[in-house]
Amino acid sequence: MTETGATTRSRTDLVVGALFLALGLYLVVSATALPAGSGGLPGSGFFPRIIGIVMALLSAALLVNTLRGSSTTAFDLSHGRVIGGVVGLTFVYLLLWGTGLFALRTFVFLVLFLRFLEQSWRASLTVAGALTAAIAAAFQYGLRVSLE
Amino acid sequence: MTADLLAGLAAVLQWEVLGFLAIGVVLGAIFGSLPGLTATMGVAVLTPLTFWVSAEQGLAMLLGIYCGAIPAGGIPAILINVPGTPASIATSWDGYALSQKGHAGLALGVNALLSAVGQLTSIFFLAVAAFPIATFALRFGPAEYFGLALFGISLMAGVSGDRVIKGMLAGMLGLGLATVGLDPMTAYPRYTFGRSEFLDGISFVPVMIGLFGLAEVLIQISDRWGTLDKAPGKLGRIWPTWPEWKKMLPATFTGAGIGTFVGAVPAAGGDIGSVIAWEQARRLSRNKDEFGKGSLEGLAASCSSSNGAIGGAMTTMLTLGIPGDAVSAVLIGALLIHGIQPGPLLFRDHRSFIFSIVFLMTFAAVLMMVVGLLGAKPLARALRIPNPWLWGGIVLFGAVGSYALNNAVVDVWAMFVAGIIGFLLRKADVPLGPLVLGLILGPMMESNLRRALILGRGDWLGALTSSPIVVFFLVATVLSLLLPLLKKRQAA
Repeated sequence: MTETGATTRSRTDLVVGALFLALGLYLVVSATALPAGSGGLPGSGFFPRIIGIVMALLSAALLVNTLRGSSTTAFDLSHGRVIGGVVGLTFVYLLLWGTGLFALRTFVFLVLFLRFLEQSWRASLTVAGALTAAIAAAFQYGLRVSLE
Repeated sequence: MTADLLAGLAAVLQWEVLGFLAIGVVLGAIFGSLPGLTATMGVAVLTPLTFWVSAEQGLAMLLGIYCGAIPAGGIPAILINVPGTPASIATSWDGYALSQKGHAGLALGVNALLSAVGQLTSIFFLAVAAFPIATFALRFGPAEYFGLALFGISLMAGVSGDRVIKGMLAGMLGLGLATVGLDPMTAYPRYTFGRSEFLDGISFVPVMIGLFGLAEVLIQISDRWGTLDKAPGKLGRIWPTWPEWKKMLPATFTGAGIGTFVGAVPAAGGDIGSVIAWEQARRLSRNKDEFGKGSLEGLAASCSSSNGAIGGAMTTMLTLGIPGDAVSAVLIGALLIHGIQPGPLLFRDHRSFIFSIVFLMTFAAVLMMVVGLLGAKPLARALRIPNPWLWGGIVLFGAVGSYALNNAVVDVWAMFVAGIIGFLLRKADVPLGPLVLGLILGPMMESNLRRALILGRGDWLGALTSSPIVVFFLVATVLSLLLPLLKKRQAA
């Protein structure tokens, strides 16, 4: 294992452990604002508090394991630019949900999506048209879901 | 019992139900045979479509997808060494080697035939064992249900290989997400951030679509974009000869038995079952050296076991309300949409429905065998569809399907956020199975623990040691979590 590989691996588990620890502590603290119950009987905050405590303990165990050097996780984000583009395109498409014609914005989204994944113009236009028509036929006209 | 059986059969023998089953099998065959799509993804993404039809019709389609996709997952495993579903990992070990030797058709034929044998064996187990298990489970009180749910989550974390702590963390995340919405006992709002959309809790199906649809697309883009082999042009003969049948039979039934048993273990699905069965068949075989190099016995064991897990997983899901694998976890969500709560009460109140499921699965297994034999060549050709086309369809179908469930934009965003979180968690080697299980079992676990404590007047020890069944589940939970850790320490 190279030093860079080992560093990436331990850093992944450190981040995972730290995020879960933060979430666990949030659950413990936020549960105190919920009714605790009475007469020894559990209230609404009882279960989240238990989950928070267990999550914090497990995260601590993961952090200790990682700092001892027994971590084996590598965060390999191959094709990160493509993934970022796909996520970004999907985000914009969802942001525009409910505006304009469903068929038009879906067709444009799919053409851009396929072009981004290096499909030819011809394939992108054909597949986007077919998929848009199929979805619109199934949901808008078949199941009568209002997508506009 | 006979009246329920006949009523169950009558409910299935309607052209609408059989039509939906056939559509499901064909869709399942497509989802399974295309490396960009999986069985879990198929069931998750197409669940919203069943919202508009009856429970029998919707379940027929989803069971058709399930029973069609798992055998079809063997097709790309055999032709291009890429398992179509996780359950067909072991199929690629001998199937691809056979394909490389020019016997692709034979490997596809064995896959179709012995997958059906595996499914039918496990469906028989479901028909025979489910009612006694459910009758036993009817004795369960709140403490037993809490113990069972805890055991289910611990098992899923336990089978997460060397990622036990991360598996448990994922389970806790699922349980935490399940607390969003109104408290199941007092209706007090929790973690809703003042938004009425969250009062009913996090919508389960959009989260599943995100975790198994969008996240899977992102994982595939990251892991294997542009790296797929081309399927061979000629397949050759499909039907095995009589000596080949005789050679495969012992491995087939070993595989079917192991697959059914492993499938019935909560959280352990066909992927684990097929690997164990393949290894067991290798140990028992006289031709150990052939395994992994194009052994028909190895292929028989892997095909029958990955499909045997279906009936096993359905048995656990229907009798105890705990998913046997990821697909049955999504199926629970689909059943809940139709107002059906899996568990022992289903066997008391809707016996004919259980028989309907048994008949639907039987018909689906036989139909998929025919599709697998007759459709081997077209399905092999379908492998040429570029993955980006499939990915675009999945993202779009996932978004529209999530919205269509409740006509709510918040569900679309739940799908999107779940997809991103699922992708990041998988990249960080955190298993998603325990998260799903936590989300499903959270409400049952919390309300039963609190009921048990109320019945025990706040006495934890008394409540959780009130019956031998609870003690058994608690001991089994501790063992299932400690054993993998001890094994890891021993190996180190």
